[in-house]
Amino acid sequence: MYKLIGVSKIYQKGRHTVPAVRDLDLVIADGEWLAVQGRTGHGKTTLLQLLGGLDRPTTGVIDLDGQDLARLRESQVTRLRAASIGFIFQTFNLVPTLSAAENVEAALIPLGAGPSERRRRVAAALESVGLGDRARHLPSELSGGQQQRVAIARALVKEPKVLLADEPTGNLDENTRDEIIALLGRLWRELGVTLVLVTHDSSIARQAQRVGVMSKGRLTIKLDARRAPAPGPTV
Amino acid sequence: MFFVTYLRRELRRRMRQAVFIALGLAVGVGLVVTVVAASSGVKKAQSAVLQGLYGVGTDVTVTGAPPAAPRSGSAPPKGAQTFQISPGGAQLCTNGVCHNAAGQTVDNLGSQYSAISASAVSKVARLHGVAAAAGGLTLNDSQITIPSDFGKAGSALPQPNSFTVDGVDLGHSGLGPLSSGSITSGHNFTAAESDSDVAVVDSGYAKANKLKVGSTITVDKVHFTVIGIVAQPQSGTPPDVYIPLKRAQAIATTGTQSLKGKVNTIYVTATSASLIPAVQKEISKLLPGDTVTTASSLASQVTGSLSSTAKLANDFGKWLSVLVLIAAFAVACLLTMAAVSRRVREFGTLKALGWRSLRIVAQVMGESVTLGVIGAAAGVGLGFGGAALITRFAPKLSATLATATGLHFQSVGPDGSRSSSPTANHTLLVPMHASVTPGVIALAVVLAVAGGILAGTFASWRIGRLRPATALSRVE
Repeated sequence: MYKLIGVSKIYQKGRHTVPAVRDLDLVIADGEWLAVQGRTGHGKTTLLQLLGGLDRPTTGVIDLDGQDLARLRESQVTRLRAASIGFIFQTFNLVPTLSAAENVEAALIPLGAGPSERRRRVAAALESVGLGDRARHLPSELSGGQQQRVAIARALVKEPKVLLADEPTGNLDENTRDEIIALLGRLWRELGVTLVLVTHDSSIARQAQRVGVMSKGRLTIKLDARRAPAPGPTV
Repeated sequence: MFFVTYLRRELRRRMRQAVFIALGLAVGVGLVVTVVAASSGVKKAQSAVLQGLYGVGTDVTVTGAPPAAPRSGSAPPKGAQTFQISPGGAQLCTNGVCHNAAGQTVDNLGSQYSAISASAVSKVARLHGVAAAAGGLTLNDSQITIPSDFGKAGSALPQPNSFTVDGVDLGHSGLGPLSSGSITSGHNFTAAESDSDVAVVDSGYAKANKLKVGSTITVDKVHFTVIGIVAQPQSGTPPDVYIPLKRAQAIATTGTQSLKGKVNTIYVTATSASLIPAVQKEISKLLPGDTVTTASSLASQVTGSLSSTAKLANDFGKWLSVLVLIAAFAVACLLTMAAVSRRVREFGTLKALGWRSLRIVAQVMGESVTLGVIGAAAGVGLGFGGAALITRFAPKLSATLATATGLHFQSVGPDGSRSSSPTANHTLLVPMHASVTPGVIALAVVLAVAGGILAGTFASWRIGRLRPATALSRVE
């Protein structure tokens, strides 16, 4: 579970200060799907980076299962990311020289898993996203949707507690976008991960349990459907 | 395996850049290997020349002080033969007694060095650090035939026909110039021949003068029988004729002084190479008036293209290869850092996946070191090629050593008096073999890998400072 208390992130740009996140309080329960909307430059990506330990807050506490990410050493945060946090990026961020399987395998390297275990888990992860037959293809040989599926497989192969997705459909066409969101939704239900998804798209945001809107660094919860059953598959 | 796969794919992706870096390192390293090989070839040529002069196993050589050069117009040394040109014609004078010189042949076996008492040899042998010492006589036999019109207007001073003679101590055959040769015909001296008129002749001199075993040669008007022909190492400057030391002492003179019981050269072997400077110092104290040289000090007296090539390889060659190597290192560093800059987002992603900075640094270092190893292999190949080209196409190097003949000429005529003591120059052509040794190969590998590590280190510094959030926000 995430507990954010009084979290702020202020960037220094020359003589100016830019408050990307201001005094944010937020609790994200285990297994919850939180969508974060907002205009460009209002702090959505910064919030995601703080949740993932990719950056440190200027002030405040980011508690993840009893550990304050703001106070941990860099090596501890790195270990935490390796074991517990999966990332999905808008631009996929696959290593261009590695095949689909090798890109997924890259997420298991920090965990010290042996070669045969890595092969088994990679194969299973690619199967779960429907790309079992594309394991040896390079990213340049895959479509945008396929590349994002590989990125999802990479994020999930380590069986993380948390999945952080930054505009995962931002670079995809409408049909592919729906496929990816449907896949994410399915995996969220099956695996019970905590999913925080940043998106511009309201139709995607509405599929989440809670929707927050970032505006000038402050988060406001607009929709809370947690008491309602999670959305089922579209009929 | 993932490490190797990632490394291999990354180098293949930026193949052109990788080739450029490896090639730069290869050129730098290849130049170093070639220069070191050439330098070593020149050193070998130099030491072969010196070995030919002093023989194998000689570490220190003692020679009597060279006689002072005569001043123009000065009186000749007492007992020396001089020529005088006067209205009466050309005359040959000895101790003030003159006679007509026209058509006369003068044969002189002289020493180019002052004499040293033979007892000095045993004193030197007893010094600390000396393994063995032997005395010898380094002589020049000069024959001049005075032309019948010598002294008249327009006539030139005659040039001597000379050959070198070495008086060999038969009790210490392991030292001295004869020790480095091998007998190709006949036999070497025996102990019983120490007082006999027998000679061993250098193979080159024998061929030029059509001498063989059993032939007779004249040394200072004494007839010696050739008992053996000796071949010296090709790059040596051997004496032409070897005779027993006792016989040389009996017939040679320095000025008018007999050389009985005297030597003019002492060959010394040190117990170890590290003691040579100390031995040189001790001998200089024992024999203060004499010249004490080691192989390295004699090298400076040798002129010709051998010495200028040595300077070229050591000075210009060394600095050129250092500059090229620095340039290659700089190019490798810059290109590696540029490659890292282009992969900032990739490294940020790996950090987001949980890769530690050290792991990423190891990956980048692996790429740089691999290029270094490839550069080393190519550089060694280039070095071998360079050395082979030098050995194949380099002209033979000349080594020239001037030696005094021991004669003194003086002419007195309408244009004043002139004096000279002709010298005989020994010029040797020495082939140069540039060789690549295992030590040089190891140096090449170390240099190239160091270049790779240096390039990787600069890149690693960049990676270590990389914040994942900043890296991921980079637009590529």
